[in-house]
Amino acid sequence: MKIGVLCSRIRPEEKLLFQEIRKRGHELVQIDTRKCVFDLEKKNYFDVDIILERSISHTHAIYITKILENRNIPIVNSYEVIKNCGDKVITSLLLDKHNVPTTKCRVAFTAKAALTAMDDMGYPVVLKPGVGSWGRLISKVESRNAAETILEHKEVLGTYHHSIFYIQEYIDKPGRDIRAFVVGGKTICAIYRESKHWITNTARGGSASNCPITPEIDDICKKAAECVGGGIVAIDLFESDKGYVVNEINHTMEFRNSIKTTGVNIPEIMIKYLEKMVNQKNEKN
Amino acid sequence: MKIGILYERLRKDEKALIDEAKKRGHKIILINDREIFFKLEKNELDVDIVLERCISHSRAYYAMKILNEFGILTINSSETAEICGSKFLVTENLLKNNITTPETVIAFTRDSALEAIEKLGYPVVLKPAIGTWGALCSKINDREAAEAVIDHKEKLGSYHHSVYYIQEHVNKPGRDIRVFVVGDKVVGAIYRYSKHWMTNIENNQTIEKCELTNEIRELALAATKAVKGEIVAVDMLEKGYKILVNEINYTVEFSKILSLFDKNIVNEIIDHVERKYSEVQQ
Repeated sequence: MKIGVLCSRIRPEEKLLFQEIRKRGHELVQIDTRKCVFDLEKKNYFDVDIILERSISHTHAIYITKILENRNIPIVNSYEVIKNCGDKVITSLLLDKHNVPTTKCRVAFTAKAALTAMDDMGYPVVLKPGVGSWGRLISKVESRNAAETILEHKEVLGTYHHSIFYIQEYIDKPGRDIRAFVVGGKTICAIYRESKHWITNTARGGSASNCPITPEIDDICKKAAECVGGGIVAIDLFESDKGYVVNEINHTMEFRNSIKTTGVNIPEIMIKYLEKMVNQKNEKN
Repeated sequence: MKIGILYERLRKDEKALIDEAKKRGHKIILINDREIFFKLEKNELDVDIVLERCISHSRAYYAMKILNEFGILTINSSETAEICGSKFLVTENLLKNNITTPETVIAFTRDSALEAIEKLGYPVVLKPAIGTWGALCSKINDREAAEAVIDHKEKLGSYHHSVYYIQEHVNKPGRDIRVFVVGDKVVGAIYRYSKHWMTNIENNQTIEKCELTNEIRELALAATKAVKGEIVAVDMLEKGYKILVNEINYTVEFSKILSLFDKNIVNEIIDHVERKYSEVQQ
């Protein structure tokens, strides 16, 4: 089959996916988002059976998945998954709605209201941009004084998405968190990310080790993936004194540090999932 | 019933709506978007329905999204706010429903945007995909202007400027048409005249009543349906004999033009709120 990969910068992940696509005898169609021009009156743009979205930019992913879905071109992840995961407010709302354990969250629209919300929640709290990744611009706010300073800076420097204040309960985790990979409703592997810093992202220097998938981890991850719309996602979990809680869900996950660590061939499972999607679609027609 | 008013400032529009709702015996709960914070794990608002009257799109959208997920009805819905707040989603929904709209191209980088502009042909209009009141819209007449605007966007750009929403410039007869829809009724329409190419900015704008034709009426209702709107203003452009739908606004301002409506829009809005609530109750 013809598998399109939508990408901009080619990271190690994309190279592994390209290899896997070719190894399995498929035709690879590389689609560079930087070169894409979409005339919206057109009904089709690419001659492919399915597209895997691997764009670094969440904004680009959102627009392109919508354009392709409106023209019945299958894409993984779907617009719905990308929209739900790319926006932390929506992720939290969906987790709460489906009773998946997650951190407590508050949303406010001005610095003044955000301060009230933080006071109400009790310090320390975590303040995050509603949209963003790799742990950028995330602050652990220890006190009201710190809150005032950070909020003032955000108000002065702020762009569009900074005017949404997403405030999260701080979980005193044991120096690590868990990242689990879910593909097509199955939890395929997980890693611990350890760091002396409270931000444990491997992109921020956290180190990875294998995390065995227990029935509890499997259960919470499957539920979390389902409530954002399935597909291929990475679920970040905290170990809290009340058990596992979901922190975030990522829609275009990086996995270069997780293949050797877990012994699971993540790109192979991803491409097999695409094959399954195409076969299901062909059977339907 | 208990009607929540989600707002930033109580302008004449909001005051008129509140007066009418109170006159009919409803309880008004004021929800100021500058003051409120939401706990995502549980709803703490005691309201039957919320009428959105914000100024900021992001506040309106997120507040309604949260309320809708809690199961609270809002007018419009968060879905309509999401669509109408994005010019891209409006265009896509109009095209899906075969409603004529200016030709639009999307690109993501400087070079691909320039290529798209050249292909479309000058003049073109470059708009931020998210934004209101004509803010940062540029009419680009030639290659030099295109490069200058795009280079500035790249340097200054915030988050939403990494998407180029490029549209044909419609050579309209010095005016556009704004049609007001409440529920499934068209309640009035106006022409907005201006010597500026952007007829939707308030400076130097002259407003006149527009007599509704069947074509305008049907187009407005079809466009409203395409964005699942309830209370909206549909902006149209005349291109020769054709009428194109340009944009759709979901927080309608009306107090300066009350005398130009065919129907009392304040009554119509509160009627709609009551009707919507009773429909859901059944």
